[in-house]
Amino acid sequence: MFGLDYSWLADPAYQQWLLTGVVNTLKLAALSSSAAIVIGMLGALGLTLRIFWLDALIELFVEVFRNTPPLLQMLFAYFTLSTLGLKVTDPSTGLSVPLLSAFACAAISLSLFGGALAIEAFRSGIETMPRSIIDAARSLGYGRWARFWRIEAPIATRICLPGLTNILTNLFKTTSQASVITVPELMYYAGQIYNDTFRTLEVMILVLLIYMVLVSILTFAMARLEAFMAFPGYGRGH
Amino acid sequence: MTGFKTMMGVSALALAAFFAGSAAVAGTLENVKARGKLVVGVKNDYVPYGYLNDKGDVVGFEVSLAKYVAKELLGSEDKIELVPVVASNRIEFLTAGRIDVIFATLGVTADRAKVIDFTTEYVSAAGPSVLAAKEATISKWEELKGKSVCGIQGSYYNKKMTEEFGINLVAFKTQPEAYRALKDNRCIGFVFDDMTLQQKLKEPDWASYKIAVAPYEFQPMAGGLRKGDAEFHEAVDMAIGKAEAEGKLIAWETEFGMPHSDYIAARAKAAAAKKN
Repeated sequence: MFGLDYSWLADPAYQQWLLTGVVNTLKLAALSSSAAIVIGMLGALGLTLRIFWLDALIELFVEVFRNTPPLLQMLFAYFTLSTLGLKVTDPSTGLSVPLLSAFACAAISLSLFGGALAIEAFRSGIETMPRSIIDAARSLGYGRWARFWRIEAPIATRICLPGLTNILTNLFKTTSQASVITVPELMYYAGQIYNDTFRTLEVMILVLLIYMVLVSILTFAMARLEAFMAFPGYGRGH
Repeated sequence: MTGFKTMMGVSALALAAFFAGSAAVAGTLENVKARGKLVVGVKNDYVPYGYLNDKGDVVGFEVSLAKYVAKELLGSEDKIELVPVVASNRIEFLTAGRIDVIFATLGVTADRAKVIDFTTEYVSAAGPSVLAAKEATISKWEELKGKSVCGIQGSYYNKKMTEEFGINLVAFKTQPEAYRALKDNRCIGFVFDDMTLQQKLKEPDWASYKIAVAPYEFQPMAGGLRKGDAEFHEAVDMAIGKAEAEGKLIAWETEFGMPHSDYIAARAKAAAAKKN
């Protein structure tokens, strides 16, 4: 069809590469997304405490990791941290080797990058919450912690879900940059396959479709979650 | 793959047909003599075959060979014009008549032989080898099974490394990254083009490293000529044979810092014996 040649897909080596690539992409995305959500919640919680030095610390974290390219963060983690001394001695060879593997560097960088964005998303959720709800909670005798976990967090989560969906889909796609530090994910293998076969267009189309399917599953799940958690009186809860 | 091969085949045929038409008309040897200048396509970015020295002159093993051929054909090694070419345009430059001969790390392959003629083969170019620390005990490809070895993304031998030798290939986008990772011990070796690694070993930073695993394959390298020009072909081959017999190629190996190869030594010996 259209002169496209997919005969290379019959090669078991390429099938294995694509499969390994998809598995590693999913692992990286799942790990960094979960960590980003946890970081986002902790950060937003920290900001509600109104402690001067903690605010400053969280703001600094957000500025550093949100305002620098994730690709650069990964390269920094991979090449620079070990040079700065983050090394261990390999017991089997006695050589001094970097502590963090390529996968760990990518997962940590993406978690921090996603986390910084998530803090902002959750914070905006908390800040846009109607003032009257907080006043109501206060008048009912809720303390600071109970108010956060029982009132603010559930409502803020619902308000910031669309923003969070954006962050997670972006984070999923950003995993493709991990190929630069040799994480064998989908793009890493795709490049090798089209270099071997010269079927650049065919490989690109296939990889595009794989990403589209995977990210569509994620956005579909997030849409369902949004519908399920709809906040009465707001957005889809109308 | 078949589509690509067919395409290559068709373009090769087209070029060959185009050539059969024009080669019959122009004898390159007369042209070169009338012009008083041999126009040669050489590399200018590939140590040690053709590269720029500190003064900005194009020098190298194949550049010296080209100059020798010019001397044989025209009486002076200065009667030459060096045209920088790259892998993707050198055959077009030749078939289009912009150069008379290619001396630019041209590997002898059957596909190319459909489009151009090859001169005598004068170098046996090594494929990939493995650079590793001097203490490394590994010396065979088979011993790399399951080990992490740095490489470059997109290299033609990567599939062989992972599928045949079972290497855990850690492939980077660029060479500096791979060299850095090797120094950081992220991998036990770096698999790359042997000649490039040999040159790297000469840098003081890399004194504690060695070529741990020798190349598993060699590809003959030859000059490229337009198809069907027997007279010119013979003249160039004679010049190369004479250079071999005089031990010039061995001298150039020394001059350009190449490891002495058995292949060139054997050819020099055979050429000298033939002459006597």
